[in-house]
Amino acid sequence: MSDDTICEKFADNLAEMALGILTGRERMATLAHVESCALCTHELESLSWATDAMLHMAPQVEPPLGFEVRLFSRIGVDELGARRRASRPRWILAGAAAVVALATGLGIGLSVGSSSPNAKVEAQAHSTTSKPMLTADLTENGSPVGVVSLYGGSTPALTMDLAESSVHGIVTCEIVTDNGATHKLGSFKVTHGYGAWVAPLGVPPDAVRTAQLISPDGTTIASATLG
Amino acid sequence: MGAECRPERFGTAEWRAAIFRHVSDVSLRMGQIHVADSGPSDEALLAGMAVGEQAAVVVFVRRYQSRVYGLAYSMTSDRILAEEVAEESLIRVWRHAPVFDPRRGSVASWVLTITRNLTIDALRTRRAVPTDPENFAASAHMSLEQNPEDAVQRDDAHAMVRTALRTLSPEQRRAVVLAGAYGRSAFEISEAENIPLGTAKTRIRTGLLHLRSTLEHSGKTRKTDE
Repeated sequence: MSDDTICEKFADNLAEMALGILTGRERMATLAHVESCALCTHELESLSWATDAMLHMAPQVEPPLGFEVRLFSRIGVDELGARRRASRPRWILAGAAAVVALATGLGIGLSVGSSSPNAKVEAQAHSTTSKPMLTADLTENGSPVGVVSLYGGSTPALTMDLAESSVHGIVTCEIVTDNGATHKLGSFKVTHGYGAWVAPLGVPPDAVRTAQLISPDGTTIASATLG
Repeated sequence: MGAECRPERFGTAEWRAAIFRHVSDVSLRMGQIHVADSGPSDEALLAGMAVGEQAAVVVFVRRYQSRVYGLAYSMTSDRILAEEVAEESLIRVWRHAPVFDPRRGSVASWVLTITRNLTIDALRTRRAVPTDPENFAASAHMSLEQNPEDAVQRDDAHAMVRTALRTLSPEQRRAVVLAGAYGRSAFEISEAENIPLGTAKTRIRTGLLHLRSTLEHSGKTRKTDE
């Protein structure tokens, strides 16, 4: 937008307001002006976008160890229990488990609407129970790294929440049932040890004995005993 | 350091509605249900934080802590100060989650603006020396990205902005960074650079106009800001 389409009197002020440095009477006058001038309003929004770009340009840098712990402590959040070594870690209901729990709290179930890989899930009522039938710790080399939950109803489902695992990349989630059969539930992405997903079980929940995560080379990364 | 007061709960309808929208977006892959890789939207997480949902707080903090700390560190070059500012910034986001207005911009811009303003306050209060504007403008290549695809996209966006800043004259670049990143007024810039106030205002305005024009011509869109 060329300058002659905006009010020249406010040209400098618009730039400074977009940068967040205009104060006092100049700021008040400019605010009052943009409320009645569409061109200047548009100019301000456009310049603000360019200003935001500078902030977004800043690098992502991992904060020091303990940052999360201190922050969650101040807020009063019971953080994911990977750092707690209690016999049964207290996990925050997050990711897929929260989706299932709240979705069913709304009376919404999840089911397959089509076999097409691009089909969207059809929402149906009351097909998954709201509370898990069974929950177990997911362990990796003896250390707890997540939680697996099984949900009943007409569309049994499994949720898996993973935190501070060693894995990064695509993993396969499998279950082993009481007859020794292995069922693949799907492949999912784990990002630097964190991931959460929900998948239909395809078998009765009480038939499930083990849930496990498998790496692309077939190695069992983590497992949970469910029965 | 005790636990801080939590925001008052007000109807969980907004949080449930946000989750419902997210559930509706769950897509089918390979015959299985897979929660979208990006997880709940920023707006959904803020809605959850606003009603005290701990899960939302955890996800939001882990999504934003690197960006918030990264901005504070790039402005201060002081890890301890940056950590303090990052912590205060996220707490302020948590406290003000109920009043976030999406009509005023994206969640990311809101969070980073809070961070920027708190960093400016901290620098002034402690009379600390901020990072040289030229170093700030050149710092964006140090990004730590969890998702390789996002890293490529973000690096491209960063490169566009760095390149756009490099097309400015040194004087314009300093003025725009001092104003936009460090919150220096035109008067403060004129004093610091030993130039007339009018010259400072002109450098700020023409620099920002030039930056905008270069970004627009390079194809940068609002989406790459997220």
